[in-house]
Amino acid sequence: MASVLRSSILRHIRVPISGALTLNGSDLIAVRSMSSHGDDHLDKQEVISRVLDVVKSFPKVDPSKVTPDVHFQKDLGLDSLDNVEIVMAIEEEFKLEIPDKEADKINSCHLAIEYIHNHPMAG
Amino acid sequence: MSVASAAYLARRAAQKERVRILYRRALKDTLNWAVHRHLFYPDADALREKFEANRHVDNIETIDRMVAAGEATYNKWRHPDPYIVPWAPGGSKFCRNPPPPQGIEIIYNYGREDNV
Repeated sequence: MASVLRSSILRHIRVPISGALTLNGSDLIAVRSMSSHGDDHLDKQEVISRVLDVVKSFPKVDPSKVTPDVHFQKDLGLDSLDNVEIVMAIEEEFKLEIPDKEADKINSCHLAIEYIHNHPMAG
Repeated sequence: MSVASAAYLARRAAQKERVRILYRRALKDTLNWAVHRHLFYPDADALREKFEANRHVDNIETIDRMVAAGEATYNKWRHPDPYIVPWAPGGSKFCRNPPPPQGIEIIYNYGREDNV
């Protein structure tokens, strides 16, 4: 008797899941994201250190001059073709695919770090 | 001699951008053909030499013709199966598992379905 009543009521009521899970200690409603990639942005310090390593290992660059704000052509005395090579090396390091127009605009370490930090698929 | 007008400079800047994009694509293509790095490095150096040989050309029309010839050579040598990063357009993981639409949830009501 009670089970029939219960099932007849439940037939008309939908009780949604309300999970107020805490994500990283903050009180957010957890979005159960089902995409298995591209959700984790890289840590900025890690991006900076990896980009600087790539630039320092370029044979035409003096490693002692490389800082996170350095401009490839003005400060390091590189060529525009060298700039293209550095951007390609950064693409290979972070497994990115940068469109041609965007890659042309990356002229300094600062721009490169910004771009990679904001890219969702940076590996 | 040559008045550095805005139109001239704009045209030179556009040409330089074409050259940079051509160099980038040619370098990637070289990497596609020469998969192993010890083969890629000499080929990349040879490509760089080709670009460096024409570095000091000044005449705009000559530069235009050279860039067009370079792009034709690039189109002739393009690899039929280039390496593309998997999540990029043309890669193997592109559009695979797109994120589901917002606001859709799964309602877990085990054992309490309608046909109880």
